[in-house]
Amino acid sequence: MQPYLLTVLILLPFVGALALAAHGLFAPYANERHYRWIALGFSLVTFAASLLLLTQPVGLGPGGTFHFVQDVPWVSAIGAHYHVGVDGISLWLVILTTLLMPISILSSWTSVEKRPMAFFAFMLLLESAMLGVFVSLDLLLFYLFFEASLVPMFFLIGAWGGERRLYAAVKFFIYTALGSLLMLAGIIWLWYLYSQIPGVNGGTFDYVLLHDAIQQGKISLTVGGVATREQFVLFALFAAAFSVKIPLWPVHTWLPDAHTEAPTAGSVILAGVLLKMGTYGLMRFNFTLFPEMSRKAAPFFIVLAVIGIIYGALVAMVQPDVKRLVAYSSVSHMGFVVLGMFSFTEWGMQGALYQMLNHGVSTGALFLLVGMIYERRHTRMISEFGGLSKPMPLFATLFVFTSLSSVGLPLLNGFVGEFLIMFGFWNSDPAVHNVTRSWLVTMLAATGVIWAAVYMLWMLQRVLFGRVTNPANRRLSDLNWREVGLLAPLLVLMLYMGAYPRPFLARARASVEYVRARVVAAGSQGVFHAEAREATK
Amino acid sequence: MTNHLLSVVVFAPLVGALVCWLVGRKVRSESLVGAVACGSVAVSAVCAFLVAFTGEGGGALRNPAAAPVFSHLWTWIQVGTFRADYGFAMDRLSGVYACFITFVGFLIHLFATGYMHGDKGFYRFFAYLNLFMFMMLTLVLGDNLLLMFVGWEGVGLCSYLLIGYYTDRKEAGDAAKKAFVANRIGDWGVVLGIMLVFWLTSGAGHPSISYFDKPLQVLGTSGGPEVVSALKTIGGMGIEPFGWHWIFAGGITSAAVLLFIGATGKSAQIPLYVWLPDAMAGPTPVSALIHAATMVTAGVYMVVRCSAIFSHAPTALFIVAVIGAATAIFAATIGIAQNDIKKVLAYSTVSQLGYMFLACGVGAFVAAIFHVMTHAFFKALLFLGSGSVIHGMHHEQDMRRMGGLRKYMPVTFATMAAGWLAISGFPLLSGFFSKDEILWKTWSSETAGTAGIGKFLWVVGIVTAGLTAVYMTRLMVMTFWGSERFREAHASGEGDEAHAHAHDEDRAPHDAHAPSEGDRPHHAPGDAIDSHAHHADAHGSHHAVEDFEDEEEEHEEEHHHGPVEPHESPWTMTVPLVVLAVLSVVGGWVGIPYALSGGAVANYFEQTLEPVVARAPENGEVATHGAGAATHAAGTTAEAPSAHGNEGSLPQSVGEGEAGRGAPAGHGAAAAPSEHAPDPAEVSQERLFTGISILVGLLGIGIGWVVFSKRPLMPLPRLLENKYYVDEVYDAALIEPIKTGSREGLWRIIDVGAIDGIVNGLGRGTAALGGVLRYLQAGFVRSYAAIILVGALAVLGYFAWNAWQLAR
Repeated sequence: MQPYLLTVLILLPFVGALALAAHGLFAPYANERHYRWIALGFSLVTFAASLLLLTQPVGLGPGGTFHFVQDVPWVSAIGAHYHVGVDGISLWLVILTTLLMPISILSSWTSVEKRPMAFFAFMLLLESAMLGVFVSLDLLLFYLFFEASLVPMFFLIGAWGGERRLYAAVKFFIYTALGSLLMLAGIIWLWYLYSQIPGVNGGTFDYVLLHDAIQQGKISLTVGGVATREQFVLFALFAAAFSVKIPLWPVHTWLPDAHTEAPTAGSVILAGVLLKMGTYGLMRFNFTLFPEMSRKAAPFFIVLAVIGIIYGALVAMVQPDVKRLVAYSSVSHMGFVVLGMFSFTEWGMQGALYQMLNHGVSTGALFLLVGMIYERRHTRMISEFGGLSKPMPLFATLFVFTSLSSVGLPLLNGFVGEFLIMFGFWNSDPAVHNVTRSWLVTMLAATGVIWAAVYMLWMLQRVLFGRVTNPANRRLSDLNWREVGLLAPLLVLMLYMGAYPRPFLARARASVEYVRARVVAAGSQGVFHAEAREATK
Repeated sequence: MTNHLLSVVVFAPLVGALVCWLVGRKVRSESLVGAVACGSVAVSAVCAFLVAFTGEGGGALRNPAAAPVFSHLWTWIQVGTFRADYGFAMDRLSGVYACFITFVGFLIHLFATGYMHGDKGFYRFFAYLNLFMFMMLTLVLGDNLLLMFVGWEGVGLCSYLLIGYYTDRKEAGDAAKKAFVANRIGDWGVVLGIMLVFWLTSGAGHPSISYFDKPLQVLGTSGGPEVVSALKTIGGMGIEPFGWHWIFAGGITSAAVLLFIGATGKSAQIPLYVWLPDAMAGPTPVSALIHAATMVTAGVYMVVRCSAIFSHAPTALFIVAVIGAATAIFAATIGIAQNDIKKVLAYSTVSQLGYMFLACGVGAFVAAIFHVMTHAFFKALLFLGSGSVIHGMHHEQDMRRMGGLRKYMPVTFATMAAGWLAISGFPLLSGFFSKDEILWKTWSSETAGTAGIGKFLWVVGIVTAGLTAVYMTRLMVMTFWGSERFREAHASGEGDEAHAHAHDEDRAPHDAHAPSEGDRPHHAPGDAIDSHAHHADAHGSHHAVEDFEDEEEEHEEEHHHGPVEPHESPWTMTVPLVVLAVLSVVGGWVGIPYALSGGAVANYFEQTLEPVVARAPENGEVATHGAGAATHAAGTTAEAPSAHGNEGSLPQSVGEGEAGRGAPAGHGAAAAPSEHAPDPAEVSQERLFTGISILVGLLGIGIGWVVFSKRPLMPLPRLLENKYYVDEVYDAALIEPIKTGSREGLWRIIDVGAIDGIVNGLGRGTAALGGVLRYLQAGFVRSYAAIILVGALAVLGYFAWNAWQLAR
């Protein structure tokens, strides 16, 4: 079972999508409610199966080791393998994905009226692709899953989205597809470099082989500990794909449109999982394959991250649309994640990983909640609401709770991640990331926490409190059991992850530490200059 | 020492909150909710006193080693060398806090069962109030800075929830948000301060954010390595000399300043005090508990708790003292001109908190805590008394519509009079001792940093003392003496808590004592000017949606304010008043200074706390012997102060920290409390100054009496009445520019205009190319695919070519 578990995880939702299609094909007049049950069933089984990952000491052993590894030749002509495995970095992201999927499907229970078969099939295909992204250890395979996740999302936004759905979908697709094509160039290039190693017959896409080859100097991307221009370009090609995905300021503008126009389930997955593919990719590939360049480029990413934190929060503050507000808050939160990663400290990097999970849980829940009032009122404009705590007290309570988690109230999850990130950056070593005034950067980033309180509380006040001025809001029904039920796991997680983060951090420690050590051990001056290039000749 | 009763102290109110919320919302029984809420705090209070006064060695407050009592639960966050435990510790400082918090908290809970009677959200109110107690106790009993921060933000949250308790009133929501944001600005400083403390202790080889040494027997079997006290480590470093550049040097001074930023938020000091007066939009028991007695003194707690840090940073102490004194006199002047009874008390609180920081700034940490305690008694009393007045006046808060109430509300009057005299510094009452102590310590301050301006600060302090007596006398005169103005028609209605509260009554008459219909507020249409402002119906949020509209109408009909007949409040409200009045009178007797008692009565308070706070370095001390002189003679293990002449050097001297490890609490302490060696000349001087304080207090009362008993409605300067227009300035200078800049600048111009403009421009360019290709491709999706393909290939090709060139 062990070597096949990840494959089973990837295939289960895919099979679910096939089952949906088959059901639609062979019983076209069947009750449409069957679809959602089939989709829910498959996603729940996938979630249960993903929990089996915890039976092995994933992430608890030495760093750099993978569990549940399966490695079989795939396209032998080009040396592509089907190579999957999981370590402490990907473990929780896989489980986050499998957890959010049944919740998203439940959230779409009644809201999808148009072609439910296709909707749920796309959702399951999306899950397969996302899981593939997190467990792939072969770059070509990774690329395929990375791109494959775009297609279902494109259709989810384009077909089931809001008014400007086509614009949003195309913008999303072009932005991210362009980014990932650049990465493809980088991947092919790495394949070529591997094939040039003396005594090697043909190239490879295998992450582990490439990683080792680079580390052992068989693929030389440094000269005297200094990154070559080749490494710079490779780093940039990979980073381009991931920066768009995160999204890093200023390539973030696809996100507010995509988030806002996407159906609720799409927004949840987009915010909860898809954005993490960017930060995951940076940490997994850029940091370990191009460590010198990662250090060299750190100031660039740190500055953009801090801009994103403050800019995202300020722009979120003035949004008239609740969903757009939450979308911009994602820019701010993901800025924190990037900042933590580029601190290259144990605290910051573990905090970043933890913040990825937190953001998935909290922002996912926020999108779910916004979706719930959207279903009732078919508007997302803040000005349309006001005083909702009166007709919907339970909704108000849960909304406030989730918002507090999002603004990083201690004892809720967001605080642990944000604190570790800021703490890590404050205590980071300028010699590693080349930013001398880390305290100033931390101080600026920490203002993001103040802004978060401003935009969230202001939004809460305008949506939930005050008198009910709009007659349309007077008789709204409060949350039903399904809605409470699908939020409950996330609410429990917020509290649990805030009060007792140790199990999560313990599993992540070794793997993150491995990546960190790789970066820190890399040449201390990742400075490219012409002399270095001359020396190669 | 471990005593897990300590965890009961903290968690009992949390259990109460959960029961109130989960059971209370279903059962809707006021007696059940009231009993649970008061009971849980009572349990907490009893346990707090047990831990403080009984057990091994005489309890946390009495054990001779001044060692803390621990209750380690689990390790909360542990990453690398950073570690934050979820564990509690009660030493003498937190013991004093825990005792008065739980005790005063219990009385206020009891009062609130009477005050909130009939409110729709009764269960919700008590759930929040209990949650607040949990957070407050976490704040003071947490054994490390980060757990303190949990409570720190937690009380801020509860404050937010309770200020905004009347959810459908805009000004309550605004005030709540303002409070939370102002506190968050302060919290920014606290978080960074905590990081800096860790950074400093890391540099000294003992990375920690714990207050205390936690030996293995406290941590238990799985607790991991021993925890070293961060305060002790910092106490072992050299004192940073006075100088402004130290603020940005990233050393102890920077840490102290960052932490103090948090204190200005939580304890409402300049420039972040603006939230506290607005916070009066919450129910009055909330004002008494959170915004007078407990939460707002958290900043003082933190400064005193971190006295080892502050005492090493004379520059920071200077800032603390100046901000404290400035806030004290600034708020007192505003307090004189307010007409809302709760606003007067709010500004008074801000002013008194300023006193406490003044004390901290001149190194009189014990005096600060003494004033925190006596202030908790008399200010809680005054707030509850004002609540009783508001209740008896059928929710009128404007003092201009009161007057002559003493014959209607004798108990309230008598008890409030005790509070009035106590805060005014009437001899032998609690406020007299604590305030006098602060003033004397300010005058005689030899602390490096404030020594030069001690005399000036004293002048500010004594003027403030006089002003305090004046505005409190004005409050009493306007409320309890003079003509009975409540029968007159009203000039205008201010939307405050009272009005919202009043509306609950028509659904569930809240006053069992109201004998007849005549007692109820009249409602003559046209009586009120702006009836709409009053129609904030404060029915918790949980009524059936069906009767929503009916209620609306009812409200239109009823509740215009007419003449009222005041009445005394029920026993649940007067009993806490009486108890607090007694404490306001006698509460100061635990801390009578030597100069006044002549040694006949020991100064228990000072003796108790002296061992757990650091002594601020005296002027000149910094230069002569820097490292550790002030800090390492902790409690019982007297250690010779080692003299290092390392002025100006960065605080990396680990040696001192090592030397002090025998000390139980890890704090520095005064080698010789001043009391033990009274200098006769100093004693007579102190007596002289006490005399001056008494005179000023009596003078203030006299002026207030003479002026306001003749003309209770005397108009006062507009500038003061409008609070120096600070809110308006903040609004115009900060809030509006940020909002407008974000909306028009960042969003409209940069995001939508520039970035999206470029993206869309590129898109259009590609689409134009696609237009050419349209003849090859038909169909919508396909044309997009073509665009993507062409664009991607172009970019890919460019990059590949470029990269190839570079790599060659």
